[in-house]
Amino acid sequence: MEYIDYYKILGVSRDASQDDIKKAYKKLARKYHPDLNPNDPDAKRKFQVVNEANEVLSDPDKRSKYDQFGSDWQHADGARAQSQDFGNGGTTFTGNDGETFWSSSTGNAEGFSDFFEQLFGRHARGSSRASYGFRGQDYTSELHLTLREAAQTHKQVLSVNGKNLRITVPAGIANGQTIKLSGQGGEGANGGPAGDLYITFVIVDDNDFKRVANDLYVTVSIDLYTAVLGGDVVVDTLDGKVRLHIKPGTQNLSKVRLKGKGFPIYRSEGSFGDLIVTFVINIPTVLNDKQRDLFKQLQDLNK
Amino acid sequence: MKTDYIIVKEYCEKCHIDPSFILSLDEGGLVTLNEINGEKYLPVADLPEVEQYARMYYDLSINIEGIDVIHNMQQQIKSLHQTIKRLHDRLRIYEDDSIVDNLTDDMRLFSDKM
Repeated sequence: MEYIDYYKILGVSRDASQDDIKKAYKKLARKYHPDLNPNDPDAKRKFQVVNEANEVLSDPDKRSKYDQFGSDWQHADGARAQSQDFGNGGTTFTGNDGETFWSSSTGNAEGFSDFFEQLFGRHARGSSRASYGFRGQDYTSELHLTLREAAQTHKQVLSVNGKNLRITVPAGIANGQTIKLSGQGGEGANGGPAGDLYITFVIVDDNDFKRVANDLYVTVSIDLYTAVLGGDVVVDTLDGKVRLHIKPGTQNLSKVRLKGKGFPIYRSEGSFGDLIVTFVINIPTVLNDKQRDLFKQLQDLNK
Repeated sequence: MKTDYIIVKEYCEKCHIDPSFILSLDEGGLVTLNEINGEKYLPVADLPEVEQYARMYYDLSINIEGIDVIHNMQQQIKSLHQTIKRLHDRLRIYEDDSIVDNLTDDMRLFSDKM
């Protein structure tokens, strides 16, 4: 565990006034606040650090203890004992001036460092959240699916905060799509409603198919002779195989669109995107003598 | 039974928020309050956004106009992210390295034999 320099984090000198600290904190909070940096774990982590620094330096008691023991924090047992005594005596360590609104939904400051807890004890965390809390905390969760799983309406069991939830995943869900399960988050306070559970779906890349919205793309190799003379080829789709007729003179990387053979459209039962097949022509790499002669003849014919 | 609305006054008392803040959000078009028999009601579905606006207002000292600007910019960023994702998905079709490598190898082998 390393010493944390709260003054350095807020960019203020050790003799900074409460106004300076407040100003520095607000500036950094506006930069890193999770509400202004949604889905940015790095900003959230920085905000937690800034918040912890403010928690200590904006509270005269904590600041004094930090200044006294901070640089020699290994000997902070005394300080911790004192903070517990204060806690028992009813003193609260809110660490804010009443302006802070820590509701219990997303965007609040979670997590204090081991250093902080070693120095002040667990109970020293800002306690204003509970009294301001109303709506329960929102939970977020990620669910990883294969492309083929995402193509089928199916059930999944999720374990969220020790509770098993059985959900139905509709066919056609998109990579990165988030669905909300209302009331499945943390419990509310003071009669407030429970928070929500947000599930984000991560669809793993498939080796055969690439998906763009509701269309699927697949690459099919055909030999040179079929490309030149035409013929039939069997193509895999998500729900089986189809036989395709290759026109004589098919060019490398030419595409055909198979209507309705793509990905199921989300919440539109029976509707599907298209399957786009790209033909890649395999040029022979090894020729026997006869083949080489025949190719030579073809070449001569075209001179 | 699910509650769809909460009385603004009641919500503010429980959350220690000044009711004028909620009314300002309403005036600024950031939430839509319902008024029944002189009592203002806030849709429960809007609570997550109201809490977010409250954090911006109380924690970060951002005024209502600033919150409105941020809200609009966040919508724009969200839309841009969706566009980037769509383009990224489409780009992946043309970035199949294995096909390019195979073709290169095939071409090289074929020329070696000639």
